[in-house]
Amino acid sequence: MNQTASGTEPARKMLSFDNVELYYDHVYALKGVSIELYEGETVALIGANGAGKSSILRAITGLRKIKSGQVCYLGERIDGRRAAEIVTRGIAMVPEGRRVFPLMSVKDNLLMGAFTRTDKAGVAATLESVLTRFPRLKERFHQQASTLSGGEQQMMVIGRALMAKPKLLLLDEPSLGIAPKLVQDIARAIVAISRDEGVSVLLVEQNSRMALSISNRAYALTTGQVVLSGASKDLMHDERIKAAYLGGEL
Amino acid sequence: MEQIIANGLYLGAQYALIALGLTLIFSLMNVLNFAHGQMYVFGGFVTYTVVAQFKLPFVVGLLASAVVLAVMGALIEKFLFRPVIRKSKRDESTMLLAAGIAFFLDAVILLLFGEKQRGVPKIVNGVFNWDMRIIMPYDRILIGLLAIALIVAFILFMQYSRTGRAMRALAQDRVAAELMGVDVDRYSMIGFALGAMLAGLVGGLLVTITGVNLGMGGPTSIKAFLMIMIGGAGVISGAIAGGFILGMMESVGLTVLAAYGDVTYLAIFAALMIFLAIRPQGLMGKPWG
Repeated sequence: MNQTASGTEPARKMLSFDNVELYYDHVYALKGVSIELYEGETVALIGANGAGKSSILRAITGLRKIKSGQVCYLGERIDGRRAAEIVTRGIAMVPEGRRVFPLMSVKDNLLMGAFTRTDKAGVAATLESVLTRFPRLKERFHQQASTLSGGEQQMMVIGRALMAKPKLLLLDEPSLGIAPKLVQDIARAIVAISRDEGVSVLLVEQNSRMALSISNRAYALTTGQVVLSGASKDLMHDERIKAAYLGGEL
Repeated sequence: MEQIIANGLYLGAQYALIALGLTLIFSLMNVLNFAHGQMYVFGGFVTYTVVAQFKLPFVVGLLASAVVLAVMGALIEKFLFRPVIRKSKRDESTMLLAAGIAFFLDAVILLLFGEKQRGVPKIVNGVFNWDMRIIMPYDRILIGLLAIALIVAFILFMQYSRTGRAMRALAQDRVAAELMGVDVDRYSMIGFALGAMLAGLVGGLLVTITGVNLGMGGPTSIKAFLMIMIGGAGVISGAIAGGFILGMMESVGLTVLAAYGDVTYLAIFAALMIFLAIRPQGLMGKPWG
């Protein structure tokens, strides 16, 4: 499953969290979290609500300031930089709750994803490939985003993130509030994207079974700390993971 | 009848333009700009100064109003609203700030331009007369058409330009816009400048018809708020609808209710209270937030 090591060259380290602490007002969200992600990998962050998964993504994109520790991306420190700058470096995020631009057309939503790009021809080519990947968006191209179903909106915001032509794609709870049948479609889309586009993926999910089935490695978090990590296929059969995250679910 | 509609459209176009600026600022920054009327008055005085005192063409005056107010709006956003929004957790702070700016601008206008009513010479002479059914001076028609052209230009800009798209995105979802790479500070400043510029342009347009004086600021702000309450705050279509509806109501009221004295706005306020009790979000609502 872990194809990253199968190549002849060792994969480059893409992202690292080094002992990161983050808090909202005076409540800790992350207490010394260290994680790593290598080029080409899909890494899942699993854990219950409030475990700090989304905080990790917010710290990467600069939506939240970290209190201590380091966030490095391709060898450079990116903590303390602004969200608008980080996206230009090749990190795109699909935020929790989708956050579509409700009164804009699907077209304008997708174009917003390419906001920082100036190569018109390149943007047009990416738009074409996104529409090929999600034909539904082509059908709804001129419709207002608010008229789309939850599943379609999720496809659209994944497409919107791809419009930035990212090297690293952050997905925050892509299965949340989506019909179970569509969750599989989204999982397949994530696998296909990481395979076709060579994008590394950091996936936050409460649906741990889905997350473990499509990722190479995973970190399990509880109350702001990493409690377990390893290859996803091993974690899937780990008794502690089963008891904590997979029991009852799905 | 035709006369009432024509007057309503003429007024409505000006009003809609004022309301657009106000609603743009509100939707981008969640700021109720109580100083909007004062910005309008300031714009009027700038055009007056350029046209009546420096004897330059009206177009130059209008451009000067646009530029001065855009710069003023940008500075107010950068040095006043931005730090307050950053530090304060409560909406009232920006309201107080806006009210303070309104008083401040009143004082600046008094110092720079004095308390007298000012106007500029007619830019076009003659009166349009359609069989005594519609009688309207040509300068009013010209100003009305200019206002409509500006509304159209504004809509096209918001709809099709990259900057316009970024501002719409920012208004609809601030966090998502940030994640797309929209620099929130920069586009808030552009939006505030644009909103102030619209207020200044209307001031410049109307100084040729009604003139301008210090006392017009407050009432204009109140009218602008009426319009976006009618139409729904934060929505372009709502601002335009509200502007034209208020213009039309005023036009009808001034004709129909003239016999009962100066009661037009009394009637409008009463009607608005009933309307808001039934539909507090206004005609077009505020679909986000």
